[in-house]
Amino acid sequence: MSEATFGRQKMSRRTLLRLSAMTTLGVTVVACAPAAAPSGAAPASGSGEVAAPAGEKVTVIATTQMNLEQWTPATERALEQLPTIDLKITQTAMPGGWSGYSDQIVTQIAGGEQLDVIMIAIEGLRLLTNRNILVPLDDLIAGDPAEQEVIQNDVHQTLREMLQVDGKQMEYPFSWNNMVMYYNTAIFAEQGVTPPSAEWTWADFQETCLQLANVTGGADDRYAYSFWGEGMFGMHAWLFNNDTSFLSADWSESNLLDPKVAETLQFLADLILVHKVSPNPAGWDEWAQFHGGHLAMRTCGRWCIGGSLAADFSTYDLQYQPHQVGNIKTVAGTDGWGIASSAKDSAAAWEVTKFLSNKDASVDMVTFGGNIPALRSVAEMEVFAQNGPPNTGIFYESLDFAKTVPSPTNFNIVEPIINKHLVTIWSGEKSVEEAMNAAHEELVPEMEKLQQG
Amino acid sequence: MQTTRRLNETVAETQSVPTRLRGMRLDEMIAGYSFVAPALISLTLFLILPILASLVLVFMRYDVLTPPEWSGLDNLQQAASDGRLGTIYWNTLRFVVFATFFNNLLGLLLAMGVNRAMYGVVRYLLRTALFFPVLTTTASLALVWNFLLAQDRGVVNFLLQQIGLEPVGWLSTSRWALVSVIAFDVWRACGYLMVLYLAGLQAISESLYEAAKIDGAGEWDLFRYITLPLITPTAFFAVVISLIGAAQVFDNVWVLTEGGPADATRLIVLYIYELGFRRFEMGYAATASLTLFLILVTLTLIQFRLSRRWVHYE
Repeated sequence: MSEATFGRQKMSRRTLLRLSAMTTLGVTVVACAPAAAPSGAAPASGSGEVAAPAGEKVTVIATTQMNLEQWTPATERALEQLPTIDLKITQTAMPGGWSGYSDQIVTQIAGGEQLDVIMIAIEGLRLLTNRNILVPLDDLIAGDPAEQEVIQNDVHQTLREMLQVDGKQMEYPFSWNNMVMYYNTAIFAEQGVTPPSAEWTWADFQETCLQLANVTGGADDRYAYSFWGEGMFGMHAWLFNNDTSFLSADWSESNLLDPKVAETLQFLADLILVHKVSPNPAGWDEWAQFHGGHLAMRTCGRWCIGGSLAADFSTYDLQYQPHQVGNIKTVAGTDGWGIASSAKDSAAAWEVTKFLSNKDASVDMVTFGGNIPALRSVAEMEVFAQNGPPNTGIFYESLDFAKTVPSPTNFNIVEPIINKHLVTIWSGEKSVEEAMNAAHEELVPEMEKLQQG
Repeated sequence: MQTTRRLNETVAETQSVPTRLRGMRLDEMIAGYSFVAPALISLTLFLILPILASLVLVFMRYDVLTPPEWSGLDNLQQAASDGRLGTIYWNTLRFVVFATFFNNLLGLLLAMGVNRAMYGVVRYLLRTALFFPVLTTTASLALVWNFLLAQDRGVVNFLLQQIGLEPVGWLSTSRWALVSVIAFDVWRACGYLMVLYLAGLQAISESLYEAAKIDGAGEWDLFRYITLPLITPTAFFAVVISLIGAAQVFDNVWVLTEGGPADATRLIVLYIYELGFRRFEMGYAATASLTLFLILVTLTLIQFRLSRRWVHYE
């Protein structure tokens, strides 16, 4: 049986083997060959010229950390409003927050992935700018009077400036966040505790915690407050209210040995280790416990409203973070859409940038319970107040005394270093002094590298 | 004479052709090489070239976006003075030793357990249940373990508190985090080793056990003098692959502790990832990879060398 029959002709086993081998080789060669450019795709130019042949759609890929569900309406509107553009929105994961997200963007770009429009927050902006991944938008804005009008008059100056590097506007501000206190109104009422005022201090806060906590190791345990045990943004919600920061004012040096940093961390550590009113943040599911009534207060930005909307949880309200010295301050960070230097068609990318930053897109985000819109006109719309608890106005109002989260170029290195030492404080394994000394020792050489460029 | 000379010439001609090509036609050779070409090409593209590239990177400074620059021995000097590298190798050593030991011990014990006479349904259910963690994604398993091991309101600590014990920072303290990570790895991987050992046990001829029983051997004797020696080829294979696997563990630790608290559970592969894809120090990441490569090659060679003493083939 050395012959196989194919149709009318007989084929020897050797011929069959030869044909199979040639087919296999052919498939391998084809598979290893570079992918052919899709029909109608624009050649890589990066020069800003629209390169697609007339009548053909230009593909623009935008990536964001936000849930893609939020962008579905925008994608549908794009079919009508951007007829010459095939808009694709992808989600880039953010393991470990913005530092992880920035790393993922750099890795994707280095891997040759096409990303034309990139959403990034201030925390990762300098890394991407330093690596020439983003191009300045100033010329594009200057050449577009309508957008210039929006950016100048409908976007708060603080938000615009947050997304500038060396005076250049690197991104179109889309949304921002601060950190406020979420508190369960039902628990406060049940315990007869007066809801906090905007002027409350750390002492008031601690007193409130002691009144609300009920921790015995049982199934009905209720913690008074939980905080992010790591992350530059979460920690600065506390540090700024004690007039200090992990980094110097110009973000170029470590400030970890500042006594006020130690005082702030000790205050938080005592909530866990001494007063037993807060859980160790490691492995703690803050959202589930807050919605389940096992946690009375938590610190979060507006995006946490999304979780509460999804969980149909409404017995909560908001208040500013308590403060220790000086006036009330809130940490703030902005994200926005920027154009990649590798964008295949930067004119089309600019159209997409404007489209994804417009009022409709902002309203979609507000409805999904996302961040605070950068457009003041949207923050003043009824939809913003409707999708949030009674005191939701404090989100946008806080902008006048917002302080920018420290975001050096090496944020992706700085944040993990500090994080890994903070966790040793919350577990009681190291004292605040020991942990900060260790973190400082690691941070100093990194900041020196930064200064040396 | 002429016939003899021609014969000698033919023999000499034949001897000059490599043995593998002797008697092979060109078209057969092409067909043969075409068959191995896909494997050869992918091996070259995805294994040999990256290994060579990483060897070159050891002497380079490369941040993935700008062209690499020659840095001489800088990366090697950095490795020699990197205090974290020592801590991380110490963690890796402890992880590899304990994970390999317990994975193999439990794998063998479980294999012996499910190899015993029992109802067919029970046997298959038991084997499936024990193998199930191998089939499940690490991320989902880690979520469950996080839920179980959380310090506050975690299931394990809740149970401990019910019997009057203090809650333990299973994943949040240096003392316990590595233990928890090893326990997770063993729980997850021992099912795979169970299957290997089961195959080894089932390859042992039943007649050997019967003969030994006739000679009066007890259960321990059967294990000590028949099972154990004859399972050694399987054990050797299992130990080698579980040791290499343990040295390369990434996902288990990443999703459970991300290497923390501090560097308490940071293993070498996590560190290489951090250097390469968080700090974008590809040259130094390649240097750390080289150290791992050399250590694994050395360990494997030692194992092969030692195997002559303890591995018995029938």
